[in-house]
Amino acid sequence: MKGVPILIAVALLVTSTSYGQQPPTPPQNGQQPNGAPLSDSPIEPRPRDVPPGGRASTPAQNVVAVPVPVAPPRPNGPIQKSLVRITATEVAPDYRAPWNAGMLGRGVGAGFVIEGNRIMTNAHVVSNSRYLTVERDGDPNKYPAKVLFVAHDCDLALITVDSPNFYKNMLALKFGGIPELESTVSAYGYPIGGERMSVTTGIVSRIDFQLYTHSSIDQHLAIQISAQINPGNSGGPVMQNAKVVGVAFQGYSGDVAQGVAYMVPTPVINRFLKDVSDGRYDGYVDLGITYGKLQNPAQRKFLGLKDDDRGVLVETVVAAGPCAKILQPGDVLLSIDNHPIASDGNVELEGERVEMPEVVERKFKRDNVKFDIWRDKQSTSGSVQLDTVPPYLMQSHKYDVRPRYVLYGGLLFQPLSLDLLEAYQPTDLRLRHFFDFYVIDQIYREHPDVIVLTNILPDPINTYLAPYRGGIIDSINGKKIHTMDELSQTLAEPADRLVIDLIGDGPPLVLDPKQVEGARERIKMRYNVVREQNLQEQPTAKAPDLQTKI
Amino acid sequence: MRSLFISVVFALVVTAGAAVKKEAASTPPNKDVKQKALSLVRVNVTGQPYDYFRPWQKKAPVSKRALGAVLSKGRVLVTADLVTNQNYVELERAESGEKTAANVEVIDYEANLALLQPSEKNFLDGIAPLDIAGDTVVGDRLAAWQLEPTGALVATEGLVTTIQMTKYPVDVGQFLTYRISIPMQYRENSYTIPLVKNNKLAGLLLRYDPRSQLIDAIPAPIITHFLKEAEGEHYQGFPGVGFSFFPTRDPQLRKYAGQTGKPGGVYITNVEPNLPAMKAGMQVGDIVLSVGNHEIDQNGNYVDPLYGKIDFTNLISAHSYAGDVLPFQIQREGKPMELKVTLEHRDAKDYVSPPYALDEAPKYLVLGGLIFQELSRQYLKEWGPNWQREAPPRFVYLDRFQSELFPGEHRRIVILSQVLPANNTIGYDEFSYLTVLKVNGQEIKSLNDLAAAVKQPIEGGFIKIETEEDPKQIELDAKSIDAEAPNLQESYGIPSLQRLE
Repeated sequence: MKGVPILIAVALLVTSTSYGQQPPTPPQNGQQPNGAPLSDSPIEPRPRDVPPGGRASTPAQNVVAVPVPVAPPRPNGPIQKSLVRITATEVAPDYRAPWNAGMLGRGVGAGFVIEGNRIMTNAHVVSNSRYLTVERDGDPNKYPAKVLFVAHDCDLALITVDSPNFYKNMLALKFGGIPELESTVSAYGYPIGGERMSVTTGIVSRIDFQLYTHSSIDQHLAIQISAQINPGNSGGPVMQNAKVVGVAFQGYSGDVAQGVAYMVPTPVINRFLKDVSDGRYDGYVDLGITYGKLQNPAQRKFLGLKDDDRGVLVETVVAAGPCAKILQPGDVLLSIDNHPIASDGNVELEGERVEMPEVVERKFKRDNVKFDIWRDKQSTSGSVQLDTVPPYLMQSHKYDVRPRYVLYGGLLFQPLSLDLLEAYQPTDLRLRHFFDFYVIDQIYREHPDVIVLTNILPDPINTYLAPYRGGIIDSINGKKIHTMDELSQTLAEPADRLVIDLIGDGPPLVLDPKQVEGARERIKMRYNVVREQNLQEQPTAKAPDLQTKI
Repeated sequence: MRSLFISVVFALVVTAGAAVKKEAASTPPNKDVKQKALSLVRVNVTGQPYDYFRPWQKKAPVSKRALGAVLSKGRVLVTADLVTNQNYVELERAESGEKTAANVEVIDYEANLALLQPSEKNFLDGIAPLDIAGDTVVGDRLAAWQLEPTGALVATEGLVTTIQMTKYPVDVGQFLTYRISIPMQYRENSYTIPLVKNNKLAGLLLRYDPRSQLIDAIPAPIITHFLKEAEGEHYQGFPGVGFSFFPTRDPQLRKYAGQTGKPGGVYITNVEPNLPAMKAGMQVGDIVLSVGNHEIDQNGNYVDPLYGKIDFTNLISAHSYAGDVLPFQIQREGKPMELKVTLEHRDAKDYVSPPYALDEAPKYLVLGGLIFQELSRQYLKEWGPNWQREAPPRFVYLDRFQSELFPGEHRRIVILSQVLPANNTIGYDEFSYLTVLKVNGQEIKSLNDLAAAVKQPIEGGFIKIETEEDPKQIELDAKSIDAEAPNLQESYGIPSLQRLE
């Protein structure tokens, strides 16, 4: 769902992450900075650094050998037979040098075997991975693994190991339902603090919608638990009565809040498993509207509504969303799929009061949703086929893609995105406006790509152009530029000179194509630019060949 | 009128200015350090700024103590900052502690200067007035005058390291500034501190950075400009032209503009409607080669007889007055032309989002609990020094890009700033920081528009407010608002539900 609460969450995140309030954390030990670098936003629980006295810095001789303890009787059964430790070697794209492969890093997370010889884990454990290995308890081998499905919008992934022996002694875990508040749960994984499996217990503290920080734009149901989870717990199962009731995935760093950890609950897991059952992950669908409560008596009277506490007001209809065909601002939604909508936006679903988007949350791409609508004091109805709303992706983190860019005469042009903002941390107010209001002000209609001159690789032909940095392209030689493809084509067209107009009342940027051509090889050589442009966010890697174990 | 690129021009001026007259650093110690006859008075001010979040009231009073420079004709010069939003100003003789009330005679918020006059005519008798020293150059030594609690003079000497154009506190254009390296100590009365050269006033403290021990001072030429205009009947303020410009260092840009002859001048990127440059016929793409017979180089500097290379906007702000006619030599597509620009002062009220509103009560209108105001930078500054990052993003954007978004328009942006929970605002109490587009179908371009529109309810007795942001529409019952008004005033302590002037 990306309704009203989403937009609020996004706005908060934008102000707190993207505008240099906090300096970017420098890469440590050659690893990449964390995808969610802020201490005041939920962290991605995965180890980025080997802890002092941890596995890599102190070899085994320093640690007193302890025999594997005989498992005492436990309510959740022999978890070691299901739990795996996943090591991912990953390459995160470098938005400041997008022609490079990116920065190499390594992360460790947990996963567990489920039916069908599959291993479930978090999307963020395997995102951007180039090589994956899986280890299990009591087995010295590292098994190469491959990603089957990854769902960045709900931070879940399925991977598998091809080696036929791997699953022989493993037990597939089963899923339970939503655990009761205050009931005890146990979290399993490989968090920092030691080599072997760790278990922590806690109780279910809260069941609510939360921002999933992996994409940083999606909100789904999440369950807060008081069990300690730390980097390395990611992807591990949270169990109750020998069943999986969630996948540990995010929490707050200790200096923000203590004992606040979240798990992906089974309704989200089951939806993911059902979505991929056709061999493809389509992702969450969205109505692409914002709506407001209808609690004011004068407003209800004005709209001609009965005094029956029903209906919500449609405020913004995203033109690129599925509802644009049937809804308009000012409509009142009375019911969704025949569930009456209360004036505070809640509907009753299986005996529970939930927010209206929960109805959509449970649906899939190409499913339909039906509304009873009150428009101009007349009742009407409409049905739409649900779909994703692509413009939102600009405001979300992206993984497993190559950044798009065009380098021309040493000028680097890139489309505005959350990842771009985090890489450059610009303070420019115009850029911030284009990002914040991209969807709700429908800026994407005129600027599907908001093309920014992000950087200039100095060369004699562009030595006076530094002040243009941070500008957004409006047109070239009088022709409006809407997309990176148009930019690339226009730059390739023969012209005596190029006059690039940037949005705002600055001067035009003027280039001589002959000079640019003459400087091409020089710039490529000097800055080690492998490719001058990339217009496709094609997947960065194919699944690795799985032949033999190492 | 400032373009996005002005900081570049500015940065260049810094380096250029710093290079001037290094050899003068060995000037012998300034004799002002031993100055005995005090030309100073203490100035005690109690001020009370308006509270823009509760626009019907003022914030708690704040007291400031400062030093004023005694000038001829019984006047005292201080910074405008000191006496802004003042309730009471008092002068105090340093040696005797004798006090009298004072009036603010003239104030210029943009140049940050104000003239005070004691209510007792003879109060300043026996104090020798300071003359103005207009000849300070880089390398000179200036003395900062402060007072001990006993009334004894403490003079600290500093070196003028740079003379350049900088922004003053209200952020309207740039003005000439001295930068002085000085080991100054904090003392009470630190708010306005005179800087003296050879027993003459060379500047007034503008800002001080204790870590780097650098101060910026309002220089004598700006003070002289202020005093000269203050002599006249009607004080207008420093003049402007209303364009944005960009250096012409880039040969491709010069070629694009069709410039012929030797390189030089600045490229005009924007000409604001109804302001002097446009009235004189200036166009985007013109290259300004000289102003008032001073040639401008590719970076936008001219050669000043005192300071060497410095930003040409100094020719307009410090050297000219509103009403002066300045000749601009320009090139348009290679052809030379002369434009006669009649300079004007642009009043803060002539902006869509006024850059400052001081010593005046903010307008507001409370309707059933919805608080409506007009957007201004003064309002945004309630978010503190980081207001650009912390104030509502759309408001910051509207303020920053106002000349681009509303070219030549005479209007205000009306905002719904807060909602007071009340019977009429049930369900609306979470709304804040909305931009108002229409009320009862009428376009809203000022708070007065809004006040007029709410008096004409639409069919059914409703008042309909349309906003740019969600919720897009808000309806109220006109009769119920009137009926509840006394309750609302009582509960929230609002003396009047509107202030439109």
